[in-house]
Amino acid sequence: MRKLILALIILNVLSVFLGLSIGSAINPAESLYGLVHGKETIKSLILNYRLPRTLTAMLVGASLSIAGCTMQAFFRNPLADPYILGVSSGASVGAALAILLGIATTYNLIFMAFITSIATATLVYKLGKSAIIGESYGILLAGIAVASFLSGLTAILIYMAGESMHKVVFWILGSFSNSKWEKFLFSAPISCICIAYILINSWKLNAILLGDEHAISVGLNVSRFRKRLVTVISLLTSSAVAISGVIGFVGIIIPHTMRLIVGESHQRLLITTLFLGSAFMPIVDIIARSSISGELPIGALTALIGAPFFVYLLRRGV
Amino acid sequence: MKLEVRGVKIILSGKEILKDVEIKVNTGELVALLGPNGSGKSTLLRTIFGILKPSGGVVLLDGKNLSLEDKAKVLGYLPQETPDVGLSVIDLVVLGRVLTRSKIRPNSKDIEAAIKALKSVNMHGYEDRRFRELSGGEKQKVLLARLFAQTPKMMLLDEPTAHLDISSQIEIMDLIKRKVREGCSAIVAIHDINLAATYADKIIMIKDGKVIEAGSPREVLTPKTIKDVYNIDVIVKNHGRYLYILPIHRRDDKKFRIHIICGGGSGRNLIYNLSNKFNISIGVVNALDSDWEAAIETQCEIIDEVPFSEISEESFSRNIKAIENSDLVILANLTIGKGNIKNLLAAKRAAELKKLLVIDSTPFDERNFAGKVAKEIFNDVKRNSIVIKKEEEVGNVIRRLLDRR
Repeated sequence: MRKLILALIILNVLSVFLGLSIGSAINPAESLYGLVHGKETIKSLILNYRLPRTLTAMLVGASLSIAGCTMQAFFRNPLADPYILGVSSGASVGAALAILLGIATTYNLIFMAFITSIATATLVYKLGKSAIIGESYGILLAGIAVASFLSGLTAILIYMAGESMHKVVFWILGSFSNSKWEKFLFSAPISCICIAYILINSWKLNAILLGDEHAISVGLNVSRFRKRLVTVISLLTSSAVAISGVIGFVGIIIPHTMRLIVGESHQRLLITTLFLGSAFMPIVDIIARSSISGELPIGALTALIGAPFFVYLLRRGV
Repeated sequence: MKLEVRGVKIILSGKEILKDVEIKVNTGELVALLGPNGSGKSTLLRTIFGILKPSGGVVLLDGKNLSLEDKAKVLGYLPQETPDVGLSVIDLVVLGRVLTRSKIRPNSKDIEAAIKALKSVNMHGYEDRRFRELSGGEKQKVLLARLFAQTPKMMLLDEPTAHLDISSQIEIMDLIKRKVREGCSAIVAIHDINLAATYADKIIMIKDGKVIEAGSPREVLTPKTIKDVYNIDVIVKNHGRYLYILPIHRRDDKKFRIHIICGGGSGRNLIYNLSNKFNISIGVVNALDSDWEAAIETQCEIIDEVPFSEISEESFSRNIKAIENSDLVILANLTIGKGNIKNLLAAKRAAELKKLLVIDSTPFDERNFAGKVAKEIFNDVKRNSIVIKKEEEVGNVIRRLLDRR
């Protein structure tokens, strides 16, 4: 376990180093040379552009991975991902609205996306909780219904957006290209608090895995914990989506990769998932921005890189 | 720990699942909760643990009405459903302590207690195995270890032996019993009446959400109570100091009465084979003889005589009466001696009534110890009856008779 964590930390250091040094403007050798010799342009490029971008990618990768892992425990369903509560479609509507109304400054965009995604998650939870088929299924199905409705709404907004249509589509596909310190600083405190809450309660997540009655029998106040968990996951996912758009698949592939390696106990699973998520995302981002035909949408890349690797793991059985 | 359930009422989606349930469990008692599917056993356990809130009545532990979180500290509840989870065995067992004790993460004491609990269920060495990969019996033992690690004062176990093979069932019940001997009380919902009869100090029978009977196995497990609760006929036998419950097949055609004249084991197979289909009586046999035992077991009507004594006039006339009331009389391949020659006379009466079937597989001379007289009567009897050589043909004869009716 210690070796694994050490390896993951090294992987993180490596991905930070690569994230800071690789890019279309300057190559790694120039970056290093520039930093060492105090070249102002290079220093400014790295500190104001690549550092916030890399840190944002790490934060979003960690947040989505942890949110996905927690969702899978919450629903006891391996297919659960962070967007089950409709957070992504909610954020898309918010972002599309901001762009359509022409008020899409950095802060407005974040704010609109964040608020609409939280509102959607709340709605899905309320609808699902009172469902006659039970809370878990209720939330899953309410999530599907609300997300479909909002996707329809987003499609209409995109259609109405006219010239700024590409902006909306680009936002939805997810990207770190406009990462700024403001975005990172908005999201970091929310994400850190939420992740800390989940890490602290890793044993409670283990209890949840056993099923509600077993969890109650080991002394967990299941309904209270579930309520808190839904709140924390919605905040965590919303804060990630608000600054990066919709990046899919990370929330499924990263936790499952670690589950295959370290098993299902959350005290090992969460921390390794966190580190793998935070290392994985900057690397994907490097690939996205190194493309010759301009920046590629990061959501598409995570799936393209992640899915084959995941299938490999599944077949190998670790 | 003492438990008192007073007038508890549970209503779920408009339906009354528990109706004014009253039960008492004392310290160090193993109580079996018996009842058919849907009778309210699981609901009662959930209510005692506090997962369900009663709409009337109260659950008292040592006289106190505790909150759900406090209950988890003194009660160990094992739900019926076995979780499908890939946690390691030790992590699962430690869960029995974390949330009730250290809250956030287990300390070394918790780990020690978990290992001790695993040892106590003979699962030491399985710590790092994944729960999902264990066999049914092993899973149940690990779940028990989880419960033991919680150091409960009372255990509530919902069908801990369901879906297990017989050796695992006994192993699990032994472990529970041992824990109870250490001073922990237990309520075990169970389907196997014999398992309950063997292990429980006290049995509570419930049906349709009501307590039908409560008391020692001997008080509760009577054919009548079992018939009332499960609607089946059973025989309750003594087996050492335990009870043994055997279900009897229901009779399809109670109207067709068959009287078997037998003794010394000659009617045993006939009794077993025919008693589940027809209304059987036998006579005259000596008490405790193997035909008599077979008839007791299958709850047939018996005309019996004291062991090793001659058939009395009184028994003889009762036998004749039974013959007259029957649709068919079978004279089994029995040995005739001085003591039971009256059975031959009774057979003669049956032959006169044209309802005698004689099974004559062993030559009569070989089984006659009553001399010439008996031989004459037997020949006389044979003349007026259906005679078959093999006992297996009885079924065919009866079928033909029934068809003719």
